[in-house]
Amino acid sequence: MSYYDIDAILTDAEKIPCTFQLDIPDLGYLDNTPSQPLKAGTKVNLPLWLAEMLVIANTGAADNKTFVTFDLPRALGNDVVQALKADPRAVPLRDQSAHFYGLATHMLDLSEEQELGSVLRKTFVTRAAEISLHARKVGSIGHKAKSKGEGASEMGSNLGLGGAGEEFLRGLDEWERSLFRKAHEGAKAGKDWIESVKKN
Amino acid sequence: MPMYGDLGNKLALHAKRTQNLAHLPPYQAELVRAVTREVRDLDKEVTTLLEPFQGSFDPAADHATACTLLVNHLSMRRNKRCLLAYHRTRTDKLEEHVWNGVDVLDLVAQQQAGGGNGAAISGEGGASSSLSPQEEDYVRQYGDLLAAYKGQWTDIDLTGSLEPPRDLFIDVRVLKDAGEIQTEYGYVAAVHGSSRICCAGH
Repeated sequence: MSYYDIDAILTDAEKIPCTFQLDIPDLGYLDNTPSQPLKAGTKVNLPLWLAEMLVIANTGAADNKTFVTFDLPRALGNDVVQALKADPRAVPLRDQSAHFYGLATHMLDLSEEQELGSVLRKTFVTRAAEISLHARKVGSIGHKAKSKGEGASEMGSNLGLGGAGEEFLRGLDEWERSLFRKAHEGAKAGKDWIESVKKN
Repeated sequence: MPMYGDLGNKLALHAKRTQNLAHLPPYQAELVRAVTREVRDLDKEVTTLLEPFQGSFDPAADHATACTLLVNHLSMRRNKRCLLAYHRTRTDKLEEHVWNGVDVLDLVAQQQAGGGNGAAISGEGGASSSLSPQEEDYVRQYGDLLAAYKGQWTDIDLTGSLEPPRDLFIDVRVLKDAGEIQTEYGYVAAVHGSSRICCAGH
């Protein structure tokens, strides 16, 4: 992850629910009340770039209290995790967060959630296989559209997942999208190469 | 709820869009100015906050102020990152253009001519150019740099196409006198400055 990575920067803008642990007079604006002090116990949604450091930073007090504590965002809440356990392919991750995995990685850095990591790993592996399947298929559909006629029966086999497939692809998060793009381009480049070899 | 860093995020979104475009969208001068202004405001606030302490601020003694300072600092750092990333995305794009031999400044001039429609040369490049003056400068200097770099190897075209020729016969330009060259079609004279058609395999 580079300092200049736009996707990393956008991931850092994802918000997570935080709770302030002490009164802070000057930060009222974070809770939309600029004129009043921010009371301890106030819940505010803070972007990762801010929350991450506030969670880690030590106040220097004897009890080792931090400025804020955080909860897992809804995108990684129990409902979503249960759904992912049931069938990773059925969850539109994009609806949870456009940078779902990026957000999850940050959260795993911060929390000691044991189960989450393994659920996410399984999620990605299962979905990656599905993505690569779709990436190859889209290419062949595009190819068939050019040379119509021939593919009526073959189209049938492809369309088995057609509608659901589109639904699935819409639900990809940014990382999965780039994976899809790469798999798609790879399959296409491979095919182009084979065709050019045949010609010569 | 507008808060610090929101404008920087807008810049990041602009940069994200720029990555997926073939051309360079207009420079967000307003937004860049607003973000830098925000950084200056934050810096001013930090100075005011620290003033009563006379340089002997102890974060452990005053948690609330320490937290405010941290938030301000992080906001400034965030803005800096957004600004740098935005500009770098654009310069990357510009460098790509230069390597591809696209005359960016020419492109700008064309856009101006097209956009102005003869009505008036509005603001001398400011309004209709998609590059900031600094970026135009950057392109010019980067172009010079690339030219100087290429100048070291006059017989290799570094910016040439990497695609191998498909045709059986290609045009070649003779760089050095090579006298007579025998090909399967007979002799050709390779004299400096002349152009010859050669078989691609040779």
